Amino acid sequence: MEKYLDKLPSFVEAIKSMKETIIANIVFIGQIPAPTFKEKRRTDFFMERLAEFQVDECTTDGYRNPIGIIRGNSPSKPPIFVVAHIDTVFESDIDHNYTVKKKTIKGAGILDNSLGVGVLASLPEIFRKLDLCFESDIVLAGVIQSLGRGNLRGIRHLLKTWDTPIRGAICLEGVELGRLNYYSEGMVRCEVECNISSAPGLLQRFRPNAILILNEVINQIMELRLPQRPRSKIIIGKISGGFKHGIIPFYAKLGFEIQSDLDKIVKSIYNDISDIIDDIRHQYEVELKLKTISNLNAASLKYNHPLVKCSGAVIESLGLKPISAPSESELSIFLAHKIPAVTLGITLGENIHLENSMMEIEPMYKGIAQIIGVIMAIDKGVCDE
Amino acid sequence: MNSNWLKKNTFHHSAFKDIDRLVEEKKRKNIKISLCLPTLNEEKTIAKEIIIMKSELMSRFQLLDEIVVIDSGSTDRTMEIASSYGADVYKADDILPKLEKFKGKGENLWKALYITKGDIIVYLDADIKNIHHRFVYALVGPLLLFDNIKYCKGFYDRPIVTGKNKIRPTGGGRVTELVIRPLFSLFFPELTQILQPLSGEYAGYRELFEKIPFPIGYGIETSIILDIYEKWGLDVIAQVDLERRVHRNQDTKSLGKMSFVILKTFCNRLEKIGIAELKKDFFNEMIQYKLGKDEYQPDIYKDKGSERPPIIEIPEYREKFKVPKCTPALERLDMKSAR
Repeated sequence: MEKYLDKLPSFVEAIKSMKETIIANIVFIGQIPAPTFKEKRRTDFFMERLAEFQVDECTTDGYRNPIGIIRGNSPSKPPIFVVAHIDTVFESDIDHNYTVKKKTIKGAGILDNSLGVGVLASLPEIFRKLDLCFESDIVLAGVIQSLGRGNLRGIRHLLKTWDTPIRGAICLEGVELGRLNYYSEGMVRCEVECNISSAPGLLQRFRPNAILILNEVINQIMELRLPQRPRSKIIIGKISGGFKHGIIPFYAKLGFEIQSDLDKIVKSIYNDISDIIDDIRHQYEVELKLKTISNLNAASLKYNHPLVKCSGAVIESLGLKPISAPSESELSIFLAHKIPAVTLGITLGENIHLENSMMEIEPMYKGIAQIIGVIMAIDKGVCDE
Repeated sequence: MNSNWLKKNTFHHSAFKDIDRLVEEKKRKNIKISLCLPTLNEEKTIAKEIIIMKSELMSRFQLLDEIVVIDSGSTDRTMEIASSYGADVYKADDILPKLEKFKGKGENLWKALYITKGDIIVYLDADIKNIHHRFVYALVGPLLLFDNIKYCKGFYDRPIVTGKNKIRPTGGGRVTELVIRPLFSLFFPELTQILQPLSGEYAGYRELFEKIPFPIGYGIETSIILDIYEKWGLDVIAQVDLERRVHRNQDTKSLGKMSFVILKTFCNRLEKIGIAELKKDFFNEMIQYKLGKDEYQPDIYKDKGSERPPIIEIPEYREKFKVPKCTPALERLDMKSAR
């Protein structure tokens, strides 16, 4: 194990010498808008790029996830997956042109997840530069329809239809360098929509206020008692509604997530909230709907799993401190399929979901070296035990 | 009017996307290609241009031999950033220092002829927000693949960035439509076929650029077209559709200044060619008005209309590029024989 750990610091300089190629890939990919469900142009470019870098096989699966396969030396070894989600939270009509400066790159979606996809597209050239060959095939997969309503459909489909064993997997996210995610919580992501039918004339002045109805929903959710163990929480994440200061809104929407280490608790909290919604609907005589837009089951590797230990050692060998936290991403789907997997962050940055999102260039080289270190660890067999 | 030109000499960038073929042709012809980026406070866009060109056209394909930045005196970090990404960066004032110093884009392009090594020089504005390597390979393509073509001009849709991160799908090209196109229609109808005569993206053989004068300022694009057309004819010119170029929006007053300089350059060329005779010298000031405290105040922009001579006439250049001495009369003959 130590042999490849020793090599990692020297990889950082070699990777840095390829900065033009890596940054060009990040910029080219990030400048193509890819809101969830509209990722085709970015997908096509990613595929084209892999083909240009002479990846052995470039294809898309039945769900149009773009995949490149770098053939390994040992056909008997199962493949190693490296994945990054292609989609972003930004719509197509905003400016996607990036600004590159000496130390930073700025632009919409750079951290989530143009950086991840750009690095994924650069890996074939980086392997070549570092003269790296692997026993396993390396499957580079950009996965579509990951975020929000996408509900990780891309990775779900990819793993459902992949019919041979997978040795291990690494999920790439833009930030933060040092993160080491190896477990995901059970989660249900929901929306509550309040719709009040409009009536003409004087009645309009006294009709219920959709925002206040949702306020009542929030108040009652806040009164729910949540267990400390297993850890559980409700995050009220989004709210929208209204037109003008003096007009009573007849439509409002609330978005929230229930998270817990135990799926049973998620289900139980969901049922409680559903009862709250039913009650308020009846009490105020309004149209109030609860919709589930995505869900995940809790899944985890043990802290002492060899992949987790090795990944931590890789991160530390580069002078970084591993930080673990749950991740509701592609990781949970791998873990649900009993495939050892971790999520790694590539660099440091800020304003992750704002249009002026910014990444730091220099830490990225260590971020890439750590990815290679973990691939090498899996290729040496840490997940085979 | 030669109206076939538009059909025959207009290309789409996709026609040149086989970069391997261009590299082969470049090798076969044994020529070098230089990219020149003239800058003045372009710290937001310069890095991206250099990175993409280096990655795609120097590392992956060896189409470019050098990237040179010539700076007019930026007060931001343009030069530092350009240098950190490996471009050869020069202050315009430091090049040919014995000559009188001027500030302007044309000055940078002219001095680039002295600094660069290429047989083909590609000039790109440094403020392109959606830079792509097609901006270079598509301009170089016709020069490498068609022996008669010596100068290639880019054209494109021009969405402009307005306000906070919003893009307006059409716009730009106002000076072209309001100034240049009417002038071309009046005096050189053939040249109206050049769809964006003011675009800052063009490439050409050194053997042409070194033989024409370069105005210092905004008139450079117009004068290059007029001089090449006059000396070698329309058939040495091609244009390439680069599709989309996102750039900064300029306000009407700035465009007014630009139009003033272009009109002046154009009229000077008319006189030089012998099409028109000016009975009186031009004034050198563009006068616009702005509302000050309770009164309109003149806002005066001065342009002397300075121009650099063909660089081949500069002894330092002749020495560096080992150009044999010949008389101006012979040179003129030389140019005509190339038509």
